Amino acid sequence: MSFSRGGSLKWCVLIACALLTTKAQAEDPKPTPENTIHVQLAEPVKPQTFSRPLKFFLVDVVDRSGSAQPMMVFKPRGGIFLDHTPTEITRAGLEACLKSVDMLAKDRDSADFLLTLYLFNFGLSESSKMDFFGKVEFAVMLKNPKTAKSQQISASGTSIAGVAFRKKNLQKNVQEDIEHAFGDALRNLLRGVKLRDAVAALDGPADVPGIRAQPAGTATPTAIEKPPQTN
Amino acid sequence: MKVITLLALAVFLVWTPPAIAKDPQPQFKSVEAKHFSRAEGVELSPAFSDYLYAELRAELTKAKLFGQVIGEDEVVDAADAPKSLVIVGTITEFKKGSVVKDALIGFGAGMRSLKVDANAARRSDQQNLTAIHVHVKVSPRWDEKVMARFAAKNIVKQLKDSLKSEAKAAS
Repeated sequence: MSFSRGGSLKWCVLIACALLTTKAQAEDPKPTPENTIHVQLAEPVKPQTFSRPLKFFLVDVVDRSGSAQPMMVFKPRGGIFLDHTPTEITRAGLEACLKSVDMLAKDRDSADFLLTLYLFNFGLSESSKMDFFGKVEFAVMLKNPKTAKSQQISASGTSIAGVAFRKKNLQKNVQEDIEHAFGDALRNLLRGVKLRDAVAALDGPADVPGIRAQPAGTATPTAIEKPPQTN
Repeated sequence: MKVITLLALAVFLVWTPPAIAKDPQPQFKSVEAKHFSRAEGVELSPAFSDYLYAELRAELTKAKLFGQVIGEDEVVDAADAPKSLVIVGTITEFKKGSVVKDALIGFGAGMRSLKVDANAARRSDQQNLTAIHVHVKVSPRWDEKVMARFAAKNIVKQLKDSLKSEAKAAS
């Protein structure tokens, strides 16, 4: 086998092309206006009614997902990014829901309950490759500032959306999927039995025996862990 | 006489399409699917239950049998409880399958299999309305989540058939 000058030049060009392509593929996708989606609730979730009118104040939303790129929800095909961080989207969504029924307190002092939300999952989870599996998962620390007692509630939302071949449809499906999962998670929290029971337990007088609430301090933010998966 | 017949036909044609297009009133106001528990010895990934739950909810929404597919442990008005269903279930068996058997023998040998038992009960009195048994078999090369998709489709299909036959029997 002999290599002519023209032949070796062709080989060099081929190797250079291969190296450049590999390098380009290895780079992470970057957010651009074309691959960025805006996630928001289609309409606020109406919370359940309590025995007396209550006001909630959202103290903080903490990202506990451990994701290095929380705004990137889909990596292949140039990536799909959120326009705001998951914590900002969650805060806006929860506040909109509470505001819609006048349950959002203006400040901490006027609130009956303080909420601190720990976000574990916001975006897409592993699916069967035949569809998208949207998943939003968080825990909320509900605290009665008067009695200083608190209780943790977990909530999650899931959604399934079809896959698409065109990038535009792909983005639309991912956006709808995350929006549904987010709405579902907020609905799970605000209309759930867990919130009703926690409010009933914490809303009572401070010295009622048998209340399952924890005293403040025992549940520090570092103690909040992702709830175990259901088996 | 002909004119009257034509007019009657025209009136009939104008009135019938909206009646056909109108969705039938759902039999139940709401349905709640719970996460399925696992029998002892069932070794599936922790995310499987979540995925099956999501697929089941998606299929229930598509079935249009229920006014609303509510989330797990959601508060339901006492007045709506008699018209509300709760679906609970257990994954009773999972066999991983064998790619070698599937390739060498074929004819269903070495297939990955999943068995699920589910019950649909009325929320108000916990009366069991239907018992569902699903057995799904897929290629061992496929992801286990594909089984969840097929299982959810089968569960909803059986539920739909059962509720329809019950409604027919009642009427």
